[in-house]
Amino acid sequence: MYMPMPLYGFLEGDTLGLLMLAEEGETVLQLARRLQDAANIRVARSDNVDFLYDGKTIDPVLTVAQAGLQALDRFDVIRRHAL
Amino acid sequence: MLSREEWLPLARKLDWDYTYVREDEVFPEVISGHPWLPHAEWKEWEESFKTSYREYVDNQYEKDMAVYAVRDAVGRLENIQKLAAPWMNSLKVHAAALPLAEFTGVIGSLRGARFGRDSAWRTMSTFGALDEYRHTQIPLLLFHQLVRWDSQFDWAHKFYHTNNWFAIAARHFFDELTLGQNAIEFAIGTNFVLETGFTNLQFVGLASLARESSDHMFERMVTSIQTDEARHAQIGNPVLAVVMKHDPEYVQYLLDKWFWRSWRTFSILTGLSIDYLTALEQRPYSFKEFMEEWIIDQFLRTLDEFGLKKPWYWDIFEDELDIYHHMIYASAYTYRATLWFDFVIPSPAERKWLRQKYPKYWDDMDAVWEQVIDRWRTVGPGAANELAVHGTAMPTFCDLCQLPLSAGSPRKNTANVVAKDGRKYIFCSEPCRWIFLREPERYANHKDLVKRVLSGEAPAHLPDLLTDYFRLTPDTWGEDIYHGAYDWLAAKKTSVA
Repeated sequence: MYMPMPLYGFLEGDTLGLLMLAEEGETVLQLARRLQDAANIRVARSDNVDFLYDGKTIDPVLTVAQAGLQALDRFDVIRRHAL
Repeated sequence: MLSREEWLPLARKLDWDYTYVREDEVFPEVISGHPWLPHAEWKEWEESFKTSYREYVDNQYEKDMAVYAVRDAVGRLENIQKLAAPWMNSLKVHAAALPLAEFTGVIGSLRGARFGRDSAWRTMSTFGALDEYRHTQIPLLLFHQLVRWDSQFDWAHKFYHTNNWFAIAARHFFDELTLGQNAIEFAIGTNFVLETGFTNLQFVGLASLARESSDHMFERMVTSIQTDEARHAQIGNPVLAVVMKHDPEYVQYLLDKWFWRSWRTFSILTGLSIDYLTALEQRPYSFKEFMEEWIIDQFLRTLDEFGLKKPWYWDIFEDELDIYHHMIYASAYTYRATLWFDFVIPSPAERKWLRQKYPKYWDDMDAVWEQVIDRWRTVGPGAANELAVHGTAMPTFCDLCQLPLSAGSPRKNTANVVAKDGRKYIFCSEPCRWIFLREPERYANHKDLVKRVLSGEAPAHLPDLLTDYFRLTPDTWGEDIYHGAYDWLAAKKTSVA
Protein backbone atom coordinates (compact mmCIF):
# COMPACT_ATOMS: atom_id res chain seq x y z
CA MET A 1 0.00 0.00 0.00
CA TYR A 2 1.31 3.42 -0.93
CA MET A 3 1.89 5.84 1.91
CA PRO A 4 2.04 9.57 1.22
CA MET A 5 5.57 10.89 1.53
CA PRO A 6 6.07 13.58 4.22
CA LEU A 7 8.20 16.47 2.99
CA TYR A 8 9.27 19.83 4.37
CA GLY A 9 8.03 22.56 2.01
CA PHE A 10 9.35 26.12 2.01
CA LEU A 11 7.67 28.79 -0.08
CA GLU A 12 9.63 31.94 -0.83
CA GLY A 13 8.05 34.83 1.06
CA ASP A 14 6.66 32.63 3.85
CA THR A 15 7.57 32.78 7.52
CA LEU A 16 7.71 29.05 8.28
CA GLY A 17 8.05 25.65 6.66
CA LEU A 18 5.01 23.42 6.19
CA LEU A 19 4.59 19.67 6.23
CA MET A 20 3.42 18.44 2.83
CA LEU A 21 2.29 14.87 2.15
CA ALA A 22 3.25 14.10 -1.43
CA GLU A 23 0.93 11.86 -3.42
CA GLU A 24 2.01 9.00 -5.67
CA GLY A 25 2.35 10.19 -9.25
CA GLU A 26 2.02 13.82 -8.28
CA THR A 27 4.21 16.17 -10.32
CA VAL A 28 6.46 18.60 -8.56
CA LEU A 29 4.42 21.44 -10.10
CA GLN A 30 1.26 20.06 -8.51
CA LEU A 31 3.08 19.78 -5.20
CA ALA A 32 4.32 23.35 -5.58
CA ARG A 33 0.76 24.55 -6.19
CA ARG A 34 -0.46 22.73 -3.10
CA LEU A 35 2.25 24.38 -1.02
CA GLN A 36 1.21 27.77 -2.42
CA ASP A 37 -2.40 27.05 -1.47
CA ALA A 38 -1.38 25.97 2.04
CA ALA A 39 0.65 29.16 2.55
CA ASN A 40 -1.78 31.47 0.81
CA ILE A 41 -2.88 33.10 4.03
CA ARG A 42 0.59 34.61 4.27
CA VAL A 43 1.94 34.64 0.71
CA ALA A 44 0.15 35.87 -2.41
CA ARG A 45 0.02 33.28 -5.16
CA SER A 46 2.46 33.63 -8.04
CA ASP A 47 1.90 31.77 -11.32
CA ASN A 48 5.55 31.57 -12.25
CA VAL A 49 7.43 29.48 -9.76
CA ASP A 50 10.35 27.08 -9.75
CA PHE A 51 10.65 23.90 -7.72
CA LEU A 52 14.05 23.50 -6.07
CA TYR A 53 15.38 20.31 -4.59
CA ASP A 54 18.90 19.64 -3.44
CA GLY A 55 20.07 22.94 -4.90
CA LYS A 56 18.71 22.24 -8.39
CA THR A 57 15.67 23.45 -10.31
CA ILE A 58 13.45 20.46 -11.10
CA ASP A 59 11.53 20.02 -14.34
CA PRO A 60 7.91 20.73 -13.33
CA VAL A 61 6.52 17.72 -15.20
CA LEU A 62 8.58 15.22 -13.22
CA THR A 63 6.84 13.30 -10.49
CA VAL A 64 8.02 13.49 -6.93
CA ALA A 65 9.58 10.04 -7.28
CA GLN A 66 11.28 10.91 -10.57
CA ALA A 67 12.75 14.00 -8.98
CA GLY A 68 14.35 11.76 -6.34
CA LEU A 69 12.63 13.21 -3.30
CA GLN A 70 12.61 11.02 -0.24
CA ALA A 71 10.70 11.17 3.03
CA LEU A 72 11.51 14.17 5.23
CA ASP A 73 13.51 15.95 2.54
CA ARG A 74 13.32 19.70 2.07
CA PHE A 75 12.05 21.31 -1.11
CA ASP A 76 11.63 24.97 -2.00
CA VAL A 77 9.19 26.81 -4.21
CA ILE A 78 10.54 30.15 -5.38
CA ARG A 79 9.23 32.87 -7.61
CA ARG A 80 10.72 32.76 -11.08
CA HIS A 81 12.43 36.08 -11.48
CA ALA A 82 12.46 37.76 -14.90
CA LEU A 83 15.91 37.81 -16.47
CA MET B 1 28.48 35.04 71.48
CA LEU B 2 30.19 35.49 68.13
CA SER B 3 29.47 38.63 66.15
CA ARG B 4 27.91 38.32 62.68
CA GLU B 5 31.28 38.96 61.06
CA GLU B 6 32.80 36.13 63.09
CA TRP B 7 30.22 33.39 62.69
CA LEU B 8 28.97 34.00 59.15
CA PRO B 9 32.21 32.85 57.47
CA LEU B 10 32.15 29.75 59.65
CA ALA B 11 28.56 28.99 58.77
CA ARG B 12 28.68 29.55 55.03
CA LYS B 13 32.21 28.30 54.40
CA LEU B 14 32.18 24.97 56.17
CA ASP B 15 34.15 22.26 54.38
CA TRP B 16 35.97 19.28 55.80
CA ASP B 17 38.02 16.29 54.71
CA TYR B 18 36.24 12.97 54.25
CA THR B 19 37.64 9.91 55.93
CA TYR B 20 35.00 7.20 55.38
CA VAL B 21 34.36 7.87 51.70
CA ARG B 22 36.32 9.31 48.80
CA GLU B 23 35.60 12.84 47.65
CA ASP B 24 34.61 11.64 44.18
CA GLU B 25 31.97 9.41 45.80
CA VAL B 26 30.48 12.36 47.66
CA PHE B 27 30.57 14.48 44.52
CA PRO B 28 30.35 12.14 41.50
CA GLU B 29 31.28 13.84 38.24
CA VAL B 30 28.05 12.74 36.58
CA ILE B 31 26.04 15.01 38.87
CA SER B 32 28.61 17.50 40.18
CA GLY B 33 29.78 18.21 36.67
CA HIS B 34 32.85 18.37 34.48
CA PRO B 35 35.73 18.85 35.10
CA TRP B 36 35.99 16.87 38.30
CA LEU B 37 38.54 18.62 40.50
CA PRO B 38 39.57 18.07 44.12
CA HIS B 39 38.15 20.54 46.59
CA ALA B 40 41.49 22.32 46.86
CA GLU B 41 40.71 23.80 43.43
CA TRP B 42 37.38 25.16 44.68
CA LYS B 43 38.26 26.37 48.16
CA GLU B 44 38.70 30.01 47.10
CA TRP B 45 35.14 30.04 45.70
CA GLU B 46 33.44 33.29 46.77
CA GLU B 47 30.47 35.45 45.96
CA SER B 48 29.79 38.98 47.08
CA PHE B 49 26.42 38.79 48.85
CA LYS B 50 27.42 36.66 51.85
CA THR B 51 23.91 36.51 53.24
CA SER B 52 22.91 34.69 56.39
CA TYR B 53 19.71 32.67 56.54
CA ARG B 54 18.17 35.10 59.02
CA GLU B 55 19.00 38.06 56.79
CA TYR B 56 17.66 36.21 53.79
CA VAL B 57 14.33 35.50 55.48
CA ASP B 58 14.00 39.08 56.75
CA ASN B 59 14.69 40.52 53.28
CA GLN B 60 12.36 38.13 51.51
CA TYR B 61 9.60 38.82 54.00
CA GLU B 62 9.86 42.54 53.34
CA LYS B 63 9.84 41.99 49.59
CA ASP B 64 6.80 39.73 49.81
CA MET B 65 4.96 42.29 51.92
CA ALA B 66 5.71 44.95 49.30
CA VAL B 67 4.29 42.73 46.55
CA TYR B 68 1.15 42.02 48.59
CA ALA B 69 0.72 45.72 49.35
CA VAL B 70 0.83 46.55 45.64
CA ARG B 71 -1.57 43.71 44.89
CA ASP B 72 -4.02 45.03 47.45
CA ALA B 73 -3.70 48.57 46.14
CA VAL B 74 -3.65 48.13 42.36
CA GLY B 75 -3.60 44.40 41.60
CA ARG B 76 -7.24 43.51 42.01
CA LEU B 77 -9.33 42.11 39.22
CA GLU B 78 -10.96 45.46 38.55
CA ASN B 79 -7.51 47.03 38.09
CA ILE B 80 -6.34 44.29 35.74
CA GLN B 81 -9.52 44.55 33.66
CA LYS B 82 -8.61 48.13 32.79
CA LEU B 83 -5.39 47.13 31.05
CA ALA B 84 -5.18 47.25 27.25
CA ALA B 85 -6.21 43.98 25.62
CA PRO B 86 -2.91 43.34 23.76
CA TRP B 87 -0.92 43.83 26.97
CA MET B 88 -3.29 41.49 28.77
CA ASN B 89 -2.31 38.83 26.28
CA SER B 90 1.35 39.52 26.87
CA LEU B 91 0.56 38.78 30.51
CA LYS B 92 -0.97 35.44 29.49
CA VAL B 93 2.23 34.48 27.69
CA HIS B 94 4.33 35.16 30.76
CA ALA B 95 1.76 33.77 33.18
CA ALA B 96 2.12 30.43 31.42
CA ALA B 97 5.84 30.39 30.67
CA LEU B 98 7.18 31.74 33.95
CA PRO B 99 5.94 29.98 37.12
CA LEU B 100 6.69 26.31 36.47
CA ALA B 101 9.89 27.17 34.62
CA GLU B 102 10.95 28.83 37.86
CA PHE B 103 10.01 25.63 39.65
CA THR B 104 12.47 23.72 37.49
CA GLY B 105 14.97 26.29 38.75
CA VAL B 106 14.26 25.02 42.27
CA ILE B 107 15.39 21.54 41.23
CA GLY B 108 18.51 22.81 39.49
CA SER B 109 19.41 25.04 42.43
CA LEU B 110 18.95 22.16 44.87
CA ARG B 111 21.38 20.16 42.78
CA GLY B 112 23.88 22.95 43.35
CA ALA B 113 22.92 22.98 47.04
CA ARG B 114 23.95 19.33 47.31
CA PHE B 115 26.56 18.79 44.63
CA GLY B 116 28.20 22.21 44.30
CA ARG B 117 31.86 21.74 45.01
CA ASP B 118 32.30 24.33 47.76
CA SER B 119 30.19 24.97 50.83
CA ALA B 120 29.72 28.68 50.04
CA TRP B 121 28.38 27.67 46.61
CA ARG B 122 26.04 25.18 48.26
CA THR B 123 24.84 27.81 50.73
CA MET B 124 24.12 30.27 47.96
CA SER B 125 22.33 27.58 45.93
CA THR B 126 20.09 26.83 48.90
CA PHE B 127 18.98 30.46 48.91
CA GLY B 128 18.65 30.25 45.12
CA ALA B 129 16.26 27.31 45.48
CA LEU B 130 14.16 29.25 47.99
CA ASP B 131 14.16 32.18 45.56
CA GLU B 132 12.86 30.00 42.77
CA TYR B 133 10.06 28.64 44.97
CA ARG B 134 9.07 32.25 45.52
CA HIS B 135 9.15 32.92 41.77
CA THR B 136 6.85 29.96 41.25
CA GLN B 137 4.37 30.83 43.95
CA ILE B 138 3.99 34.58 43.43
CA PRO B 139 2.87 34.48 39.79
CA LEU B 140 0.64 31.46 40.46
CA LEU B 141 -1.01 33.40 43.27
CA LEU B 142 -1.41 36.62 41.33
CA PHE B 143 -2.65 35.08 38.11
CA HIS B 144 -4.97 32.58 39.78
CA GLN B 145 -7.43 35.33 40.72
CA LEU B 146 -7.83 36.08 36.98
CA VAL B 147 -8.93 32.58 35.98
CA ARG B 148 -12.56 33.13 36.96
CA TRP B 149 -12.61 36.15 34.67
CA ASP B 150 -10.61 34.76 31.71
CA SER B 151 -9.94 31.04 31.45
CA GLN B 152 -6.84 31.58 29.30
CA PHE B 153 -5.09 32.52 32.56
CA ASP B 154 -5.60 28.92 33.65
CA TRP B 155 -2.56 28.20 31.51
CA ALA B 156 -0.41 29.69 34.29
CA HIS B 157 -0.60 26.25 35.86
CA LYS B 158 -1.64 24.15 32.90
CA PHE B 159 0.90 25.11 30.24
CA TYR B 160 3.79 22.79 31.09
CA HIS B 161 1.40 19.89 31.67
CA THR B 162 0.23 19.96 28.08
CA ASN B 163 1.75 18.88 24.79
CA ASN B 164 1.09 22.26 23.25
CA TRP B 165 3.84 22.90 20.70
CA PHE B 166 5.27 25.82 22.61
CA ALA B 167 5.14 23.83 25.85
CA ILE B 168 7.10 21.04 24.13
CA ALA B 169 9.74 23.60 23.14
CA ALA B 170 9.83 25.23 26.58
CA ARG B 171 10.10 21.87 28.34
CA HIS B 172 12.88 20.79 25.98
CA PHE B 173 14.77 23.94 26.97
CA PHE B 174 14.14 23.96 30.72
CA ASP B 175 14.37 20.19 31.18
CA GLU B 176 17.91 20.32 29.89
CA LEU B 177 18.92 23.64 31.40
CA THR B 178 17.62 23.06 34.91
CA LEU B 179 15.88 19.77 35.70
CA GLY B 180 18.39 17.33 34.30
CA GLN B 181 21.58 19.27 34.68
CA ASN B 182 24.74 18.70 36.68
CA ALA B 183 25.82 21.40 39.13
CA ILE B 184 28.56 22.94 36.97
CA GLU B 185 26.56 23.15 33.74
CA PHE B 186 23.60 24.50 35.71
CA ALA B 187 25.80 27.22 37.23
CA ILE B 188 27.19 28.24 33.84
CA GLY B 189 24.04 27.75 31.76
CA THR B 190 21.47 29.05 34.24
CA ASN B 191 23.28 31.30 36.70
CA PHE B 192 25.82 32.79 34.32
CA VAL B 193 24.22 32.85 30.86
CA LEU B 194 20.50 32.92 31.57
CA GLU B 195 20.32 34.87 34.81
CA THR B 196 23.03 37.43 34.27
CA GLY B 197 21.98 37.93 30.68
CA PHE B 198 18.51 37.00 29.65
CA THR B 199 16.59 37.55 32.85
CA ASN B 200 17.46 41.22 32.43
CA LEU B 201 15.46 40.97 29.26
CA GLN B 202 12.60 39.25 30.96
CA PHE B 203 12.45 41.18 34.20
CA VAL B 204 14.03 44.59 33.65
CA GLY B 205 12.58 44.97 30.17
CA LEU B 206 9.16 43.71 31.10
CA ALA B 207 9.06 45.79 34.27
CA SER B 208 9.66 48.85 32.14
CA LEU B 209 6.93 47.87 29.67
CA ALA B 210 4.53 47.07 32.51
CA ARG B 211 5.12 50.49 34.02
CA GLU B 212 4.45 52.16 30.67
CA SER B 213 1.31 50.04 30.33
CA SER B 214 0.12 51.04 33.83
CA ASP B 215 0.34 47.42 34.97
CA HIS B 216 1.87 48.15 38.35
CA MET B 217 1.15 44.72 39.73
CA PHE B 218 3.21 42.95 37.08
CA GLU B 219 5.90 45.63 37.29
CA ARG B 220 6.27 45.08 41.03
CA MET B 221 6.23 41.31 40.68
CA VAL B 222 9.00 41.08 38.08
CA THR B 223 11.09 43.76 39.81
CA SER B 224 10.86 41.82 43.05
CA ILE B 225 11.84 38.61 41.27
CA GLN B 226 14.78 40.32 39.59
CA THR B 227 16.31 41.32 42.94
CA ASP B 228 16.54 37.60 43.77
CA GLU B 229 17.90 36.73 40.35
CA ALA B 230 20.63 39.35 40.66
CA ARG B 231 21.78 37.71 43.90
CA HIS B 232 21.81 34.03 43.03
CA ALA B 233 23.09 34.72 39.50
CA GLN B 234 26.39 35.50 41.26
CA ILE B 235 26.94 31.76 41.62
CA GLY B 236 27.83 31.57 37.95
CA ASN B 237 30.92 33.78 37.77
CA PRO B 238 33.11 32.02 40.36
CA VAL B 239 32.15 28.58 39.00
CA LEU B 240 33.04 29.70 35.51
CA ALA B 241 36.35 31.18 36.72
CA VAL B 242 37.47 27.85 38.19
CA VAL B 243 36.41 25.78 35.18
CA MET B 244 38.14 28.26 32.85
CA LYS B 245 41.48 27.44 34.47
CA HIS B 246 41.12 23.76 33.67
CA ASP B 247 38.97 23.44 30.54
CA PRO B 248 38.37 26.75 28.74
CA GLU B 249 37.12 25.01 25.59
CA TYR B 250 34.34 23.39 27.59
CA VAL B 251 33.35 26.74 29.07
CA GLN B 252 33.25 28.27 25.59
CA TYR B 253 31.04 25.42 24.39
CA LEU B 254 28.60 25.78 27.29
CA LEU B 255 28.47 29.50 26.75
CA ASP B 256 27.86 29.18 23.01
CA LYS B 257 25.20 26.53 23.54
CA TRP B 258 23.27 28.23 26.31
CA PHE B 259 23.41 31.69 24.84
CA TRP B 260 21.81 30.35 21.66
CA ARG B 261 19.22 28.23 23.42
CA SER B 262 18.31 31.12 25.74
CA TRP B 263 18.08 33.49 22.80
CA ARG B 264 15.65 31.19 21.03
CA THR B 265 13.28 31.06 24.00
CA PHE B 266 13.49 34.66 25.16
CA SER B 267 13.31 36.21 21.70
CA ILE B 268 9.80 34.80 21.58
CA LEU B 269 8.77 35.45 25.17
CA THR B 270 9.97 39.03 25.21
CA GLY B 271 10.21 39.98 21.56
CA LEU B 272 6.50 39.50 20.94
CA SER B 273 5.60 41.46 24.07
CA ILE B 274 7.76 44.46 23.22
CA ASP B 275 7.15 44.78 19.49
CA TYR B 276 3.54 43.58 19.13
CA LEU B 277 1.62 43.28 22.41
CA THR B 278 2.52 46.65 23.95
CA ALA B 279 0.65 49.71 22.69
CA LEU B 280 2.81 51.71 20.29
CA GLU B 281 2.85 54.85 22.41
CA GLN B 282 3.98 52.77 25.40
CA ARG B 283 6.98 51.15 23.74
CA PRO B 284 10.10 52.92 25.05
CA TYR B 285 12.31 50.95 22.67
CA SER B 286 12.21 48.13 20.18
CA PHE B 287 13.09 44.59 21.16
CA LYS B 288 16.30 44.88 19.15
CA GLU B 289 17.29 48.12 20.86
CA PHE B 290 16.66 46.57 24.24
CA MET B 291 18.73 43.51 23.34
CA GLU B 292 21.59 45.70 22.22
CA GLU B 293 21.58 47.85 25.35
CA TRP B 294 20.80 45.34 28.07
CA ILE B 295 22.03 42.01 26.82
CA ILE B 296 24.69 42.32 24.16
CA ASP B 297 26.82 45.08 25.65
CA GLN B 298 26.85 43.47 29.06
CA PHE B 299 27.38 39.98 27.69
CA LEU B 300 30.33 40.99 25.54
CA ARG B 301 31.94 42.86 28.43
CA THR B 302 31.61 39.76 30.58
CA LEU B 303 33.16 37.59 27.89
CA ASP B 304 36.12 39.96 27.75
CA GLU B 305 36.58 39.77 31.51
CA PHE B 306 36.91 36.00 31.36
CA GLY B 307 38.96 35.82 28.18
CA LEU B 308 36.13 34.15 26.28
CA LYS B 309 35.31 34.67 22.61
CA LYS B 310 32.06 35.73 21.04
CA PRO B 311 30.04 32.67 20.04
CA TRP B 312 31.04 31.49 16.55
CA TYR B 313 27.51 32.19 15.27
CA TRP B 314 27.53 35.86 16.32
CA ASP B 315 26.80 37.12 12.79
CA ILE B 316 23.79 34.80 12.56
CA PHE B 317 22.58 35.99 15.95
CA GLU B 318 22.90 39.67 15.00
CA ASP B 319 21.00 39.02 11.79
CA GLU B 320 18.24 37.27 13.74
CA LEU B 321 17.77 40.35 15.92
CA ASP B 322 16.19 41.95 12.86
CA ILE B 323 13.84 39.18 11.84
CA TYR B 324 13.42 36.01 13.94
CA HIS B 325 10.69 37.13 16.35
CA HIS B 326 8.84 38.81 13.47
CA MET B 327 8.80 35.51 11.56
CA ILE B 328 7.54 33.74 14.68
CA TYR B 329 4.82 36.30 15.40
CA ALA B 330 3.41 36.27 11.87
CA SER B 331 3.53 32.46 11.83
CA ALA B 332 1.88 32.24 15.23
CA TYR B 333 -0.81 34.76 14.26
CA THR B 334 -1.81 32.53 11.37
CA TYR B 335 -1.83 29.51 13.72
CA ARG B 336 -3.21 31.38 16.74
CA ALA B 337 -5.76 28.68 17.62
CA THR B 338 -2.79 26.47 18.54
CA LEU B 339 -1.92 28.82 21.44
CA TRP B 340 -3.63 29.97 24.64
CA PHE B 341 -3.54 33.73 24.14
CA ASP B 342 -4.95 36.18 21.63
CA PHE B 343 -3.17 38.17 18.94
CA VAL B 344 -3.40 41.52 17.25
CA ILE B 345 -2.48 42.59 13.72
CA PRO B 346 0.03 45.48 13.73
CA SER B 347 -1.76 48.65 12.67
CA PRO B 348 -0.47 50.89 9.85
CA ALA B 349 1.19 53.13 12.46
CA GLU B 350 2.81 50.12 14.11
CA ARG B 351 4.00 48.79 10.77
CA LYS B 352 5.54 52.16 10.05
CA TRP B 353 7.32 52.02 13.42
CA LEU B 354 8.47 48.45 12.75
CA ARG B 355 9.82 49.50 9.37
CA GLN B 356 11.85 52.25 11.04
CA LYS B 357 13.17 49.92 13.71
CA TYR B 358 13.76 46.92 11.44
CA PRO B 359 14.51 48.28 7.97
CA LYS B 360 16.55 45.29 6.81
CA TYR B 361 13.69 42.81 6.38
CA TRP B 362 10.49 44.71 7.00
CA ASP B 363 9.44 44.86 3.34
CA ASP B 364 9.16 41.07 3.34
CA MET B 365 7.27 40.99 6.63
CA ASP B 366 4.94 43.77 5.52
CA ALA B 367 3.94 41.71 2.48
CA VAL B 368 2.90 38.90 4.81
CA TRP B 369 0.72 41.20 6.91
CA GLU B 370 -0.80 42.70 3.77
CA GLN B 371 -1.83 39.20 2.70
CA VAL B 372 -3.35 38.43 6.12
CA ILE B 373 -5.25 41.71 6.02
CA ASP B 374 -6.51 40.96 2.52
CA ARG B 375 -7.91 37.68 3.81
CA TRP B 376 -9.80 39.45 6.61
CA ARG B 377 -11.06 41.94 4.08
CA THR B 378 -12.30 39.10 1.87
CA VAL B 379 -14.10 37.11 4.55
CA GLY B 380 -15.16 40.08 6.69
CA PRO B 381 -14.65 40.63 10.40
CA GLY B 382 -16.27 38.51 13.09
CA ALA B 383 -15.56 35.64 15.43
CA ALA B 384 -17.25 33.23 13.05
CA ASN B 385 -14.58 33.96 10.45
CA GLU B 386 -11.57 33.31 12.68
CA LEU B 387 -10.73 29.98 11.12
CA ALA B 388 -11.07 31.40 7.61
CA VAL B 389 -8.04 33.54 8.45
CA HIS B 390 -6.00 30.69 9.83
CA GLY B 391 -3.48 28.18 8.55
CA THR B 392 -4.60 24.60 7.98
CA ALA B 393 -1.41 22.79 6.91
CA MET B 394 0.79 21.26 9.57
CA PRO B 395 3.61 23.63 10.62
CA THR B 396 7.09 22.15 11.00
CA PHE B 397 9.50 22.24 13.92
CA CYS B 398 13.23 22.18 14.63
CA ASP B 399 14.66 18.94 16.04
CA LEU B 400 16.77 20.92 18.53
CA CYS B 401 14.83 23.94 19.79
CA GLN B 402 11.41 22.40 18.91
CA LEU B 403 10.23 25.78 17.66
CA PRO B 404 8.76 26.41 14.19
CA LEU B 405 11.12 26.36 11.23
CA SER B 406 11.01 30.16 11.07
CA ALA B 407 14.68 31.13 10.95
CA GLY B 408 16.43 33.02 8.19
CA SER B 409 14.11 35.33 6.34
CA PRO B 410 10.98 35.06 4.18
CA ARG B 411 13.27 35.07 1.15
CA LYS B 412 15.56 32.36 2.45
CA ASN B 413 14.55 30.04 5.25
CA THR B 414 17.69 28.51 6.82
CA ALA B 415 16.21 25.14 7.79
CA ASN B 416 18.55 22.26 6.98
CA VAL B 417 18.16 18.48 6.97
CA VAL B 418 20.76 16.12 8.43
CA ALA B 419 20.77 12.34 7.97
CA LYS B 420 22.34 10.53 10.93
CA ASP B 421 22.29 6.87 11.96
CA GLY B 422 19.49 6.06 9.53
CA ARG B 423 17.24 8.91 10.63
CA LYS B 424 16.59 12.39 9.31
CA TYR B 425 16.56 15.50 11.43
CA ILE B 426 15.75 19.06 10.46
CA PHE B 427 17.11 22.17 12.15
CA CYS B 428 15.93 25.74 11.90
CA SER B 429 19.45 27.15 11.88
CA GLU B 430 23.14 26.35 11.85
CA PRO B 431 23.57 26.86 15.62
CA CYS B 432 20.70 24.47 16.41
CA ARG B 433 22.25 21.85 14.11
CA TRP B 434 25.68 22.41 15.69
CA ILE B 435 24.36 21.94 19.23
CA PHE B 436 22.53 18.77 18.25
CA LEU B 437 25.58 17.27 16.58
CA ARG B 438 27.82 18.08 19.56
CA GLU B 439 25.63 15.99 21.85
CA PRO B 440 23.46 13.72 19.67
CA GLU B 441 23.05 11.14 22.44
CA ARG B 442 21.29 13.81 24.48
CA TYR B 443 18.85 14.93 21.80
CA ALA B 444 18.38 12.22 19.17
CA ASN B 445 15.51 10.33 20.79
CA HIS B 446 13.30 13.34 21.39
CA LYS B 447 10.49 13.52 18.83
CA ASP B 448 9.41 16.89 17.53
CA LEU B 449 5.70 17.45 16.94
CA VAL B 450 5.79 16.47 13.26
CA LYS B 451 7.38 13.12 14.04
CA ARG B 452 4.83 12.55 16.80
CA VAL B 453 2.07 13.11 14.26
CA LEU B 454 3.73 10.91 11.64
CA SER B 455 4.19 8.08 14.17
CA GLY B 456 0.55 8.29 15.26
CA GLU B 457 1.45 9.48 18.75
CA ALA B 458 -0.31 12.81 18.14
CA PRO B 459 -3.45 13.33 16.03
CA ALA B 460 -2.94 14.52 12.47
CA HIS B 461 -6.36 16.15 12.25
CA LEU B 462 -5.89 19.78 13.36
CA PRO B 463 -9.04 20.11 15.54
CA ASP B 464 -8.12 16.88 17.36
CA LEU B 465 -4.55 18.07 17.74
CA LEU B 466 -5.78 21.30 19.35
CA THR B 467 -8.18 19.69 21.78
CA ASP B 468 -6.77 16.23 22.50
CA TYR B 469 -3.05 16.95 22.38
CA PHE B 470 -2.62 20.68 23.01
CA ARG B 471 -5.51 20.61 25.52
CA LEU B 472 -7.09 23.76 24.15
CA THR B 473 -10.81 24.39 23.86
CA PRO B 474 -12.82 26.82 21.72
CA ASP B 475 -12.99 29.02 24.85
CA THR B 476 -9.25 29.10 25.37
CA TRP B 477 -7.57 28.82 22.00
CA GLY B 478 -6.10 31.98 20.57
CA GLU B 479 -8.03 34.36 18.36
CA ASP B 480 -7.58 37.80 16.88
CA ILE B 481 -8.44 40.12 19.77
CA TYR B 482 -10.70 42.16 17.49
CA HIS B 483 -11.76 39.32 15.15
CA GLY B 484 -10.54 41.41 12.23
CA ALA B 485 -12.70 44.42 13.12
CA TYR B 486 -10.01 47.09 12.90
CA ASP B 487 -11.03 50.60 11.88
CA TRP B 488 -8.08 50.89 9.55
CA LEU B 489 -8.67 47.50 7.96
CA ALA B 490 -11.82 48.69 6.21
CA ALA B 491 -9.70 51.13 4.21
CA LYS B 492 -8.67 49.80 0.82
CA LYS B 493 -4.91 49.95 1.21
CA THR B 494 -2.90 49.67 4.42
CA SER B 495 0.57 49.32 2.97
CA VAL B 496 2.96 51.57 4.81
CA ALA B 497 5.75 53.37 3.04
